[in-house]
Amino acid sequence: MIISARNLNFAFGEGDLRKQILFDVSFDVAPGEVVLLTGPSGSGKTTLLTLIGGLRRTTEGEMTVLSRPMHHARKEDLVANRRDIGFIFQQHNLLEFLSAQKNVELMFQLHPEVPAGEARARSAEMLTKVGLGNRLDYHPSRLSGGQKQRVAIARALVTRPQLILADEPTAALDSHSGRDVVELLQSLARDRGCPILMVTHDNRVLDIADRVLSMEDGRLEESRGTEARGETETQ
Amino acid sequence: MLSSFVVAWRQLSYHRMKLAVASAGVLVAVMLMLVQLGIRQGAMDNSVAIARRVTADLVVVSPRTRTIFQSSQLPRRLLFRVGAHPEVDAIQEMYMGQARWRNPWELREHPIAVFGVDPRSPLINFRGLSELADELMLADRVVFDGLSRKSYGPVVAHLANHDFLETEMNLHRVRVIATINVGVSITGDGNVFMSPANFRRIFPQRPAGSVDLGLIRLKPGSDVEQVKRDLAPLLGAEATIITREELIDKEIAFVRESAPIDFIFGMGAAVGFFIGFVVVYQILYTEVTNHLPQFATLKAMGFSDNKLLQIVLSQGVILSVLGYVPGFVMALWVYEIATDAIQMPFSMTWQRALAVFSLTLVMCLLSAMIAIQKVRTVDPADVF
Repeated sequence: MIISARNLNFAFGEGDLRKQILFDVSFDVAPGEVVLLTGPSGSGKTTLLTLIGGLRRTTEGEMTVLSRPMHHARKEDLVANRRDIGFIFQQHNLLEFLSAQKNVELMFQLHPEVPAGEARARSAEMLTKVGLGNRLDYHPSRLSGGQKQRVAIARALVTRPQLILADEPTAALDSHSGRDVVELLQSLARDRGCPILMVTHDNRVLDIADRVLSMEDGRLEESRGTEARGETETQ
Repeated sequence: MLSSFVVAWRQLSYHRMKLAVASAGVLVAVMLMLVQLGIRQGAMDNSVAIARRVTADLVVVSPRTRTIFQSSQLPRRLLFRVGAHPEVDAIQEMYMGQARWRNPWELREHPIAVFGVDPRSPLINFRGLSELADELMLADRVVFDGLSRKSYGPVVAHLANHDFLETEMNLHRVRVIATINVGVSITGDGNVFMSPANFRRIFPQRPAGSVDLGLIRLKPGSDVEQVKRDLAPLLGAEATIITREELIDKEIAFVRESAPIDFIFGMGAAVGFFIGFVVVYQILYTEVTNHLPQFATLKAMGFSDNKLLQIVLSQGVILSVLGYVPGFVMALWVYEIATDAIQMPFSMTWQRALAVFSLTLVMCLLSAMIAIQKVRTVDPADVF
């Protein structure tokens, strides 16, 4: 299992101000799976994503990501774990002073073992795969919203992560480019057998998923999937 | 791999105007520090320049004297006592005073420093004086310092076309026969040199038997400290004998305690440092703040705080160099102007250049380290 979560609980705040976000969440993601996580705002989707990404500490329950236990992990281990994960955010947050290629190449700072020449070549290759081969030297200000998000995808994939976490990557895009971005993401991940966990509101893209998990009030339930695989805990 | 340094440069150079402002801030800081520290050194050097010119091994001064520029006199007869010591090679009396020099072009008087010393082989380095010795032994012949300030009139230009220049000092007619280049200090605007006999003619009210300094040259290979100990009892309480080095130290100590040179110019340099610090901090801080979401994103992706610190520190280094180089050139230019304007030579020393560069680097790195604090506290989970 790429991700294996058992009986996760998570709360913000202490004492009277304590607000529990996740209740007894258990699920698995198998290698190569594309799993969508849907649900209304405030249902806890993003919080779950930050726990998986090691951006917040798992305090109650058990979770293993990429064979590393996340519960009670040290801060350095959490940071190290993030380097094996490709992140795609709602906002692309590209550095505006770097060209598309340099933004992608920057990720190799986390992988100093890759020689500079190879890093440059792989960045160009990845941008070509997302259809921006002719925009390598463009700064983000000269790219459209969809193109920027595609640069962000290239950035997430270029270091060959073992897992991709995406948080509403289509939120800032119109339906057409949103669809393009998601299909691109899916096909690139399929090629390499890289699992994707994507948080989305967007009903138009549900059909690309192997499985759809939906969240409501911090509880997880499996709603539907085109091709159910793996075990899912149902509340 | 794309190095932090390259990323730093791309970020700085993306907004040319900001880069120019930040570099200008560092430039001003560098220039202020170099100029202030340069003037401090120049003022210090100039105040002790006369003491440094002394070539005698031992110097006899009045115990009342704090600085040779305001010396108390001592009885000349005391100097005759020391000649008995077998190690003493030569003894000279030296006179110093301030006279009123009449600018012969505008006919007004200006105070000028006067030195009376045997011109034939003075135990003080007034280069060019001994070549003029024969004529200087004649009555009322004087030599003018060519590096004196302009208020005394165009003496050098006049002597280039004429054999001599006649004017008055203390209402006494003198003939300037030549100029030599010695240099003025912060305590005086100009110098005139002459024989002891002529000095007494200009200062007739001074008792003939009182001198300002006694200069003693020892035979080669003498133990200066030993001779000093031998001679001290001969002089008694009326005069003190010190070595050349002690005289210089005494002058430096006097300048330090009487004129707040260190404080004034040290303060100027500190202000420069502070200006540079604030400008660099302001620029780097806005850069960091404007890119907080991007930096938080990088942190979420696994960049450590130190990796991001490297980028901002590199920006500090880039700004130091970009500001230092033109600041250095401008400081050299200011040194030249200042040398011209106040006729007090300033020079760049590599120690000062290096010290100011280190200060600049510290200034920029410190601003960078404070500017990055915000990134340390940002929670990468907030970018979701």
